[in-house]
Amino acid sequence: MITITIDGKKISFERPVTILDAARAAGIHIPTLCHHDILKPYGGCRLCLVEVEKVPKLQTACSQYVSDGMVVRTETEKVVDARRAVLEFLLINHPLDCPHCDKAGECELQDLAAKYGPAMGRFAEGKRRYPENLEDPLIVRNRERCILCLRCVRMCDDVQGASALSVTGRGSKSYIEPFSGGAYDCEYCGNCLAVCPVGAITSRTHRHGFRPWLMEKEVETVCSYCGVGCSLVLQVRNNSVVRSVPRSGLGLNRGLLCSKGRFGYDCLNYGDRLDAPLMRRNGVLERVTWTEAINCIADRMKEIKRENGSDAIAGIVSGRCTNEDAYVFQKFFRGAIGTNNIDSVAGMAYGPAQRFFEKILVQGVTANPIQGISDSDGIFVIGGDPTAINPVLGLQVRSASKKGVPVIVVGHPGGLKRYSKRAFIMNSAAETVFLAALVDEIKRRRPLPGERPVLEEIINGFRPAPLEDASKMSGFGPNDLVDTAHALSNMSRPSIIIGRDIVQTDTGHMNLLFLAALTYLLNGRIYLLSELPNEQGVLDMGCQPDMLPSGRPLTVETFRKRCEETLGIIIPPAPGLSYAEMTEAAHEGRIKALYVMGEDMVLGLPDSNYVRGALRNIEFLVVQDRFFTETAKYADVVLPALSWAEKEGSYTNLERRIQLTRKAVEGESIEEWKVISEISKTFGLHMGYRSAADIFSEIARVSQIYRELTLEGIADGKSVWPYRGGPLRYDMHTEGTKLPDIVSVMEESGMSGVHVRREAHLFHSQNASRYSPALLSITPEPHLKIGDILADRLSVKDGDRVKVSTDAGSIVLSARRDPCLPDNVVLASTFDGGGIFEITKWRVNPITKAPASDVNGVVIDKEEAITVLHKDRADSLVGG
Amino acid sequence: MREISITGGEPLTRKKTALSNKILRELNDLKRKYDNERFSLLPALYLFQREYGWLSAEALEKVGEILGVPKTTVKSVSTFYAMFRHKPMGRHLIQLCTNVSCMIMGCERLTDILKTRYGLGPNATTHDGRFSFLVMECIGVCDIAPAMVVDTDLYGNLTEDSLIGILERYE
Ligand code: SF4
Ligand code: SF4
Ligand code: SF4
Ligand code: FES
Ligand code: FES
Repeated sequence: MITITIDGKKISFERPVTILDAARAAGIHIPTLCHHDILKPYGGCRLCLVEVEKVPKLQTACSQYVSDGMVVRTETEKVVDARRAVLEFLLINHPLDCPHCDKAGECELQDLAAKYGPAMGRFAEGKRRYPENLEDPLIVRNRERCILCLRCVRMCDDVQGASALSVTGRGSKSYIEPFSGGAYDCEYCGNCLAVCPVGAITSRTHRHGFRPWLMEKEVETVCSYCGVGCSLVLQVRNNSVVRSVPRSGLGLNRGLLCSKGRFGYDCLNYGDRLDAPLMRRNGVLERVTWTEAINCIADRMKEIKRENGSDAIAGIVSGRCTNEDAYVFQKFFRGAIGTNNIDSVAGMAYGPAQRFFEKILVQGVTANPIQGISDSDGIFVIGGDPTAINPVLGLQVRSASKKGVPVIVVGHPGGLKRYSKRAFIMNSAAETVFLAALVDEIKRRRPLPGERPVLEEIINGFRPAPLEDASKMSGFGPNDLVDTAHALSNMSRPSIIIGRDIVQTDTGHMNLLFLAALTYLLNGRIYLLSELPNEQGVLDMGCQPDMLPSGRPLTVETFRKRCEETLGIIIPPAPGLSYAEMTEAAHEGRIKALYVMGEDMVLGLPDSNYVRGALRNIEFLVVQDRFFTETAKYADVVLPALSWAEKEGSYTNLERRIQLTRKAVEGESIEEWKVISEISKTFGLHMGYRSAADIFSEIARVSQIYRELTLEGIADGKSVWPYRGGPLRYDMHTEGTKLPDIVSVMEESGMSGVHVRREAHLFHSQNASRYSPALLSITPEPHLKIGDILADRLSVKDGDRVKVSTDAGSIVLSARRDPCLPDNVVLASTFDGGGIFEITKWRVNPITKAPASDVNGVVIDKEEAITVLHKDRADSLVGG
Repeated sequence: MREISITGGEPLTRKKTALSNKILRELNDLKRKYDNERFSLLPALYLFQREYGWLSAEALEKVGEILGVPKTTVKSVSTFYAMFRHKPMGRHLIQLCTNVSCMIMGCERLTDILKTRYGLGPNATTHDGRFSFLVMECIGVCDIAPAMVVDTDLYGNLTEDSLIGILERYE
């Protein structure tokens, strides 16, 4: 026990803390500048000086630890003098241009100068002059205001791990800059500008438009970009969101955000938001009233139901819909239409993967706290770059790596490049063979736990490819493989991070099996990367063709009956079609009506032309969205939707934490669930909800998983799996899991050509980011990442235009050379008009039902002529 | 008083673009010498400066890439030290001391000559790219003041004539 006296107060601590923390615990405020709670103690600014008895010199409270018997005084004359002197030094160069500084009103230096003065130094020489740097599209640097506390640099180095900022020069001539000295070339997390105590790094998204004291309200909510579900505060003025900021004590992100969470909020204010229903008349979409639109949907759907049966109608929800919207949507389809044809984008990879792991391992096996990653003793990443897909989760991987935890990546390491021990990039068939070889090598090193006989039978029974063949196919030496297996075998509680690209490929089902085996053998924790904020939620809500909102399979009669009783509806006993199957059925004319809520199928599914063909074949297409998407162009009725900041609801993140999203501004539309319940009424199914909380309480009644939860109850963000329900118990079927046939993978793969893989982009996330001017300003167009060897062969430089062609078509992209890539793999992003999905051939894995996102045997040529890629989106707005 | 000269190590060779195998070998040796890649940063920067005469953005990037140190860190370190140069230099670099001892011993006459004879002011390069001139603070040889370093060669007890004579040797 350490007991100290601060300003006369006695206080004790179990463990040594800094004087600053001790003072805080005693309720005493010590001013600081370079200190920040997210960062490590630094002791650079000398503002937190305090007097410690028996120590001749003043001590920095932020970095000095307490020891027993210490007597500290925080506001003596000597201390106040020293602080005043420090401030005076800072003000020698600081311009004091508060009237037009964006930081004014929340600037720490301003507050300190007001408290300790003097406002002006005695220094007669002129101040440092530097013009404000406006070269970057998003971040403004003002070197005159910088007080060199290095919070930004420490943030970028130690926490974000991007190391994109540093001090240039020395002494009074030093300043902070990115490597280029102008524009940033970084991850744009904006965490540096968040910690800058003064106005030296500011955001352009609200430049000269944000005055903290003019803000009308602050709303705590959850980010709607990815499945991490970071907490953020939306600051609102005039019914518009002017800034989104994290809070250090709030949520699992603890004060950090990524580019999407920080800057992507501007899609809320995007100019071409849909604000009224549109209906196709004589081939043109025209504005109509809500009543007209709803009546039209009701009439046409009834007609199609009458003529073609309920199963000619299908519904797709986006992983951006709230739990409440998704729940009402499936209830409408099951109860009013009478079909189980309901699925979501989560049905393509996240869902099948989770279902498989739960089936073969245990329920809730993917529900692991994100914060746990940095505590694991090894990390295996496959199928996607976590620092791009789920950036704040990705930081955990970096932080583990900094502690010396080995990180092994199969696939492009992306943002983990400096943080991974090994990265293995190869084509998808080779990945399967590689995984098989790893499992085989590991099982020789680790005893089988004996808990899951079925899985062990598979692990023992399958025949891997000979090591030499596996190594030849992957392009890595046999020793690399053996060493990796060895490194993995030494881990006792590794995190296994899995992205969707390992599922969305021809051998996806085998990959899942090997990953389950790996998890089982290594006692791993699975994290499924999730590109949308509510993939887990829409699955839980029963937006799946074969699962009930109770979290149970609908083919089991007792479960179905119980659900029917609680809801007062009849649920058809046969499972419906999955997302990919619906698309195929639409193509073949078996689906006559489709209701798409929030999903842009053309951009979200591989083989855009195939999807366009499917949409064209649909007799009656309803699209409910915030924007006039590519898919909406084919619609017969387009309904405007509210964004997540315009309504109340809940999201369930990838660790299965349920979080509340609050309404921050009024939108120009009606909640999706309200619209659907209106349509439902015309079918005779009255839902009668008055609020999202109403719906949630019904969910809590019907769902075994969400049992006894309330919308207010989840507001603290602490509702994590298994909530109050406890794990469900139903049979773990493993039948149908055949021994994977590696030999045929090797024989049939035909993977000799160049293989294109999808690159999940840090600054983009499906359709929402396409409407964020800020995010688009960082990366305005898609690109192709191409390895040095291949690039040299084609004499392609950075920025050159290259044509990428397959049987399905060709696209022109701007090239970026990437030294990590081998010569047979290139990466392309999915993007508005010209992404990789334009040229992927429609292939659906019959077992996972996931459409493949990769394509083999592409031809790459250098394009001589410059092609303009970006069509003006406004041109395509019809009617309205 | 006699002119004193100490000839330094390897002469500077400029205008190279591609990384020579030799420098790559030296860099790798450096990396092996220290167990922390950051420790080899300063020697690596010297190596590059010796080879190219100055440290371009590409050079900083390359050093970072080879050592596995973020390029921002490399830039930060290299701009901290006054002896690293961040703009192109002439074929030969004259570093003339103007600190106290050398000033007393008449370095001003020498800077005048650089100005009049070669049109060369401090921090500048002659039009033909032959010489660059940097003003040095005490180079630690006050006993032979006024002194200068040309490339890696040290000269002391300079006079107007000896200065001209020396510089004529550098083409
Ligand atoms: S935005 Fe993020 S990555 Fe970029 S410099 Fe700032 S902290 Fe670093
Ligand atoms: S830019 Fe801001 S955070 Fe960075 S050193 Fe300057 S004052 Fe500190
Ligand atoms: S990590 Fe995901 S949830 Fe967090 S700020 Fe970024 S996009 Fe939003
Ligand atoms: S806050 Fe303690 S030295 Fe800066
Ligand atoms: S003052 Fe010139 S060498 Fe010391």
